[in-house]
Amino acid sequence: MNVIFDIAVIGGGNMGCGAAIRLAEGGMRTIILEQGDIGQGASGVNAGTLSLQIKRVKLMPYAIKGHEEWQNMGAEVGFHKTGGYTLAFNDREAELLYERMTLKKEAGANISFVSDKELIEKEPALARKVVAASYCGDDGYANSLLSGQYYRKKIKQSGISFLEKFKVIQIRENSDGFEISSGGQTVVAKRLLLACGGWMKDIAAMIGADLPINARINTVSVTERAPRLLNSIIGHATGLLTMKQKENGTVLIGGGWQGKGTPEQGRGNVSLETLIPNLQLAKFALPKLSKIRIVRSWTGFEANVPDFYPLAGRLANKENVFVLGCVRGGYTIGPYISKLMGDYILGRQPEMPLFDPSRDFK
Amino acid sequence: MDLLLKERTMYDVIVLGAGPAGANAALEAADNGLKTLLLDEQKVAGGQVWRAKSKSILKAPSTEASEKGDELRTKINQSAIEVKFNSRVWHIEKQDDDTWLMASDAEQLTAKALIIATGSQERIIPTQGWTLPGVIGLGGATVLFKEHMMVPGRRTVVAGNGPLVFLVASEIIRLKGTVAAVVSLNNRIDWLKALPSMLSNPSLAWQGFKWIFKLYKMRVPVFWQHGINKIEGKEKVEGVTVIKVDHNWHKSDQAEQYIPAESVCYGHGLMPAIEATRLAGADHHYDELLGGWVPTIDKYGRTSVSNLYACGDNAGILGVSVAPMRGRMAALAVLEDLTGKKHNKKDLKIFDKAKKIGLAATALSIPRSGLQSFITKDTEVCRCECISRREIEHEIKTGALSPNAVKSGTRCGMGPCGGRYCSESLALITQHISKKTRSEIGLSTARSPLRPVALDDISNEIDYDKLPIPGVSPL
Amino acid sequence: MIERSVEISFEFDGKNYPAFDGETIAAALLRSNVLNIRNAPSGSPRGIFCVMGACQECVVEIDGIKVEACRTSVADGLIIKRAHDV
Repeated sequence: MNVIFDIAVIGGGNMGCGAAIRLAEGGMRTIILEQGDIGQGASGVNAGTLSLQIKRVKLMPYAIKGHEEWQNMGAEVGFHKTGGYTLAFNDREAELLYERMTLKKEAGANISFVSDKELIEKEPALARKVVAASYCGDDGYANSLLSGQYYRKKIKQSGISFLEKFKVIQIRENSDGFEISSGGQTVVAKRLLLACGGWMKDIAAMIGADLPINARINTVSVTERAPRLLNSIIGHATGLLTMKQKENGTVLIGGGWQGKGTPEQGRGNVSLETLIPNLQLAKFALPKLSKIRIVRSWTGFEANVPDFYPLAGRLANKENVFVLGCVRGGYTIGPYISKLMGDYILGRQPEMPLFDPSRDFK
Repeated sequence: MDLLLKERTMYDVIVLGAGPAGANAALEAADNGLKTLLLDEQKVAGGQVWRAKSKSILKAPSTEASEKGDELRTKINQSAIEVKFNSRVWHIEKQDDDTWLMASDAEQLTAKALIIATGSQERIIPTQGWTLPGVIGLGGATVLFKEHMMVPGRRTVVAGNGPLVFLVASEIIRLKGTVAAVVSLNNRIDWLKALPSMLSNPSLAWQGFKWIFKLYKMRVPVFWQHGINKIEGKEKVEGVTVIKVDHNWHKSDQAEQYIPAESVCYGHGLMPAIEATRLAGADHHYDELLGGWVPTIDKYGRTSVSNLYACGDNAGILGVSVAPMRGRMAALAVLEDLTGKKHNKKDLKIFDKAKKIGLAATALSIPRSGLQSFITKDTEVCRCECISRREIEHEIKTGALSPNAVKSGTRCGMGPCGGRYCSESLALITQHISKKTRSEIGLSTARSPLRPVALDDISNEIDYDKLPIPGVSPL
Repeated sequence: MIERSVEISFEFDGKNYPAFDGETIAAALLRSNVLNIRNAPSGSPRGIFCVMGACQECVVEIDGIKVEACRTSVADGLIIKRAHDV
C-alpha cells in the first residue's frame, strides 16, 4: 500500500471510531488499526450503563453531552432511557449518597432523592432494606455488544479504511510521518491518534512516550432470561454494583469488581475472590436473583491515569501524535469526547476543553 | 477475604472428569501417593462410554460397557482417591502461587496440579426441523441405552456420520425399538477404506460390521451417502425427508424421499470438550484428525500452562481404547513435575500404536464442508437464542469475521448452553462465506461459568456488613 | 430380563406421570411420550436433546430454579413446572 493517510487511529473502539468519523467528515484520509475486531475491546464488553449518578462531578457536562449522543444513536446501539436508582443499605452509605449526589446535582445532573415508598412502587422486587435512594431520569443503558456492529457500519459509511487483527508491533517516525507495522503489514500516516484504551501505555512507548496508565479489570456477569424483575437501572452508593434487566429478560450485573490479568496477556479473567461478593451484593439488593442462573461472567479492561480524568489532547513534544482515552466512565462520554478530539485534530476549537495528556497527574 | 476461605484442602492433583481417562489418571496418581481428588458431574464414574445404569434398574443383562464401568468403579472404591460426584465445576482459575482454584457450586477446591479429562461432546450440524421435540443426539441416545435401557422414541430414524450411527441403530434393535431407517453420510467405500486400519484392532472392526450386518438382517433400510434434508412435524417429529449427498456431503438435487418417524437420532461425530482447558488458559489448535480444536499437549498431556494436563478425548478424539493409557500417562507427568520422580516410559510405544487405531475410527467422523448446505437460511443455528443462518450470514457479510464479532452482533452462542451447539455451525458458515481456514476463524473467548449456575448455588446467605466492599470510586 | 424399581408418581406441568424410582425426569417423561418440554424464546417447541446436561434444552423448573431434566432424578410427589423463559 503506497497510500499515505492523513491520520492513523490506533484502536477501533468507541473512542477511536468516534474520532475517526469526525476526522473523515473534516476531510482527513483516515485509517483505523484494530488489534482485534472493531468494537470488541472495552467498548464491546462493558455493562453498558449510562448513568449520570456514577459520573465524576468534573466530567458531568461531558457525560450529559454523552447521554445525548447515545440517545441519538438510539435503537442501533440498544439505547434505553429507563431512569436509574442508586441505593444505600446502611447509614454510612446513605451519608455517602447524600454527599455525592448533592454535588453531582449541582454539577447539572437531574438527580433527586426518593422516598422508600416511591422506590418500592417503581421497583417492587428490590430488597426492602434500602436506607436511602437517589433517582436520575436521564439514566439508562445501551447494549455494548452492538458497538462493533454499529461502528463497523458507520466507519464504512464514512469511507474510513480499517484493518482488523492488526496488532501494532512497531512505529517508526520518518519524513512522511509514521510507519506503523504489524509485522506483516505496514501503514503510513502523517498523524497518529492513540485510542487503544488499556493497551495505550505500550503503544505510546513505541514512540517514546511514557504515559502513567493503569488498566482496571472490570467484571460483568449476565443471567439467563428471567421474569421482569427491574424496570430501571440500579446502582449502589459505593459504585460497586450496577444492575439492569434487558428487554430479553437477562440481568446484567457489574460494578467494577476487579478480575485478574493485564492487557498484554490478552483478555483478563474473572477472579472468584471478587466475582462472588459482586454476585452476593446483587442478590442482596435483588433477592429474586437467588434462583436465577448466571450464564456468563467476563472482564474488560478500563484504562485510567492517577487522577482518573481523561487523556485527550496532543502529546508534549510530538506535534503529530494525539491521545484519547482513559476515562473513568468512558463508555458514556466516548461518543462525545471523541468528537471534541476530532475537532481539535482538525484545528477547530472544541466545544469543551480537552484533557492535556502531558499534565502533572499528582 | 474470609468469605472465600472456608477450609480448603490443597490436593496434589484434581482430576476433572471420571471417564476412562480421568478415572485412570486418578488411580495412577493415587497409587503413586499423590493426594488426589476425582470430580464428575455425573452420579458415578464411567464417563459417557462406561456410563452406569440408573438406580431405577435393579437387574439387567450386563454389557461390555457395564462390565468395564463396574470394574472401574470398584477400583476407584478400593483406592485412596477422594471422589466428588454430582459436582459441577463452573470456574477454574490459576492462583498467584501457581496452584489451581476451582468452584463447584458454593464449594471451592484447590490443587497443585489439574488434569482435565472432560471427554467429548457431540457435533450436530443443523438441518431444517432439528429443534423439534423427538430429535436427539446420537450420543444422547447412547445415554438412554446405557443409563435407562430405553429407546429414544417409537419409530426412529438414525442419521449422520461415523460409526455411532450404526451403533445407535443396532442398540435400538437390541432394546426392542423400531428403526425406521438408517441414513449415513458415509458411503460403503468410506467404511471399506477404514477397514485396514481397523483390522489392527479386530474387535473394533468386527463390532462395526456386526452392527451393519444386524441392520441388514433386520431389513432396516440403509440410505448410504444420504443426509436428512428436513425433519417434519409441528409440535414433534412426524417424519423426515432424506436426500443424496455428493462426496463433500453437499446436498444433491436428486429427489427427496419421505420416511414417517416419531423420533430422530442424529449427529456428526465427536469433538473434544475443550471449555475447561480453554478457561484454564491453555493454547489450543485445530486438528481435523483429532476431532477439531484440541489443547496443544506433549505426549504425556502437558498443556502450555504449567501444572495443567489434559487426557482422554478432550485432548483429541482417540476413543476408549487409548483413554485409560492417556489418563495414566498424564498422572505420571504430574508425578514427575511435582516430585521429580521419573517413570517407566514403556507406555509411550503402546500408546503410539493404539493412537493409530483411534485415528482410523475418527476418519469416518470427520465432517465435510458440504454439510453446511443442510443449514437452510431459516434454520435456527443457535438453539438457545433462536438465531437463524440468515441473521448470521448477514452479520458476516457486513464484516463480522470472528466468532466473537458474530456473537456480539447477533447473540448467536450467548445463551445458556454457552455456544456448545452452534459454534461449529457458525465456523462452517463463516468458512463457507470467507473461505478462511478454521484456524484463521478461531474460537470465541472462553468464559465462566462452565455451566449455568444459580446464584443461590454459588453462595449461601450473606452478612451484608461482611461483604468485602473495597474503597468507593473517585468522586 | 430387565427388572426396574417401584413405580412412583410425579407432576409435570399440572399433570401426573408415572416413573421408576431413581430415574431422571427426562427418562420418565420420554417413557410417557411427553416430548415437548418447553418453548424457546421464539416460541418453537423443544424437548430432550443432548441428554448429558450440556445443551440446556430440557430445563424444567423445580422450586423456581431451572434444572436439567436429563440430570435430575424424579422423586415421588415431585412437582415440576414448565420453564418459562421470558
